Amino acid sequence: MENILLPNLAKIVRTEKMTAIEKFLQAELLDMKFAEKFDYKPGQFIEVSVMGVGEAPISICSIRTKKGLVDLCVRNVGRVTNAIHHLDVGSLVGIRGPYGNGFPMEEMEGSNLLLVAGGLGVAPLRSVLQYAIKNRAKYKGISVFYGIRTYDTMLFRDEFYNLLAEGDKLGCKFYLSYEDAKDKQCLSLEAEHSGMCMCGVVTKLFERIEISPEDTYAIICGPPIMYKFVVRELTKRNVPPEKIYMTLERRMKCGIGKCGHCIVGDGTSIKYVCKDGPVFTYWDALHTKGMI
Amino acid sequence: MQYVKLPKENLEAFVQNLKAYGRVYGPVKIGEFYSFQEIKNSNEMSLDYTRTMIPPKKFFLKLKERIFTFDEKKGEYEEILEEGRIVVFGMHPCDINALKLMDKIYIDETPDKYYKMRRENAVIIGYSCHPDEYCFCQSLGTNYATDGFDLFLHELKDGFFVRIGTDKGNTIASENSELIKNVEGSDIDEFREAERKREEDFTLELNIRGLTDMLTLAYESEIWEEYADKCFSCGSCNLVCPTCRCYNVVDHVNLDLKSGERVRELDSCMLRKHGLVAGGLNFRPTRIERLRNRFNCKGSLREDMLNCVGCGRCTVYCPSKIDYVEVLKKVRGEL
Repeated sequence: MENILLPNLAKIVRTEKMTAIEKFLQAELLDMKFAEKFDYKPGQFIEVSVMGVGEAPISICSIRTKKGLVDLCVRNVGRVTNAIHHLDVGSLVGIRGPYGNGFPMEEMEGSNLLLVAGGLGVAPLRSVLQYAIKNRAKYKGISVFYGIRTYDTMLFRDEFYNLLAEGDKLGCKFYLSYEDAKDKQCLSLEAEHSGMCMCGVVTKLFERIEISPEDTYAIICGPPIMYKFVVRELTKRNVPPEKIYMTLERRMKCGIGKCGHCIVGDGTSIKYVCKDGPVFTYWDALHTKGMI
Repeated sequence: MQYVKLPKENLEAFVQNLKAYGRVYGPVKIGEFYSFQEIKNSNEMSLDYTRTMIPPKKFFLKLKERIFTFDEKKGEYEEILEEGRIVVFGMHPCDINALKLMDKIYIDETPDKYYKMRRENAVIIGYSCHPDEYCFCQSLGTNYATDGFDLFLHELKDGFFVRIGTDKGNTIASENSELIKNVEGSDIDEFREAERKREEDFTLELNIRGLTDMLTLAYESEIWEEYADKCFSCGSCNLVCPTCRCYNVVDHVNLDLKSGERVRELDSCMLRKHGLVAGGLNFRPTRIERLRNRFNCKGSLREDMLNCVGCGRCTVYCPSKIDYVEVLKKVRGEL
């Protein structure tokens, strides 16, 4: 019988320091049989083990390009993530998953997509963006709002520069907001791409586009405080609650609805973020107390 | 269902024969509490017990267990499977029904190898009980076990009315055929009468109809604050609950810093770190949120199913005397 709690060995094949506290890692599964069936959807996550330290849930930040490969963007915030930051190419990690429901990419076909990311929240949304661009014909307009505090905290810089400059070619409008009004690099980005880059919190970017509520899906990921404000902007523009998708963070020890840490809700609606989510609609949040 | 009778004088021989199916555990009185302990003879058991402090979940979801070893040098994970066969003698209907709830999570959806293996290696022998002032299983419909046991013994004056619940139970019965008799009309009458009397003896009641709605409607109620003021956040309720099953996972590393083992241990949603994530954000930082979360979780395992069997343990063993039924009556606005 399969033991779902037993991690599968993987080797780190690429790392890149992205910011002072965020690191990109690519891992390759060693067991080819497991690699064969290891497929994932945008919005799913895996449990990553570092031997002797522990296990942590981490979002997958890309679509699958090659069998057995998985991309992660990890912020150094806790014991396990700190250990992950100390890994180099060749280091071993354990992987379980993928877990979670992921974003319903098929359901959104034929509509506009609006991706709203704050900080590290851009990591899971990057896989949504990659998927949408790969299947470009299936979607109408694709817009991305990315909010950062300062230039130094910006993730995947090269990719997003490219989208700022040449997003039109890929059929994607990329907007950047930054909070530090004195940030020189951000100011020069704004000078270069006026209209696409501005100072303020991510909700300010809503001034820049028209949203047609009848055929737009919004996809949100960011720090917990962000959801309320982004949802308010979307609701003001009549985007229905069931078309607002968001992905949530909780403590998770198992990833499969057993350890009980990620439970949210009330009597009539109890959800496990790991198993029933981590992707929920704003409608779910409206009738499940404590979700956002 | 098949029915047989085990005469009282054969109980000891029967318990001895059960050892062929694994280590035999039964309710033993320790000080003023009861506990499922390994027994050598039937007279070690206190079969008239009300409830054990720690429920029999301890046999299946261990309070602490090693799940695998790791070795970085060898680059391997190796699962630790301790296969031991056990017989749990004397489980009450509430605890049997609680195991059925656990099975739904640990076997029916993405099976947990450790739990499933232990369940398969265990013989469950139920035993009739008598309610005290804390039992409210009747209100939840868990005061009778229709399945979930291999054998179920109902006490009669001169023996036990035995219900055979599974193939395994049938095998045990047939292998002990010299100890077992056929049931007679008078045994059936006695069984009926005992069950009728037992139903009448419940004193505590909890109306569970619409409880999930009542919990949702009481989400912002002041009662959570009122009880959180009394709550020590100690987690005793989780430990003694037969359906509480939150677990934590920790890695223990050996002195070479390259190898070690992963351990999972029972966790408690009443403890502060239960909702804490890396970076310091806590999704249930106060006792109010944690207490409310526990009651909502007990109130709905799934949207249509309660996660409580009415055993009364959380009320009995709460050091702060928080009365579970009283809280839910306040949730309903009855108090």
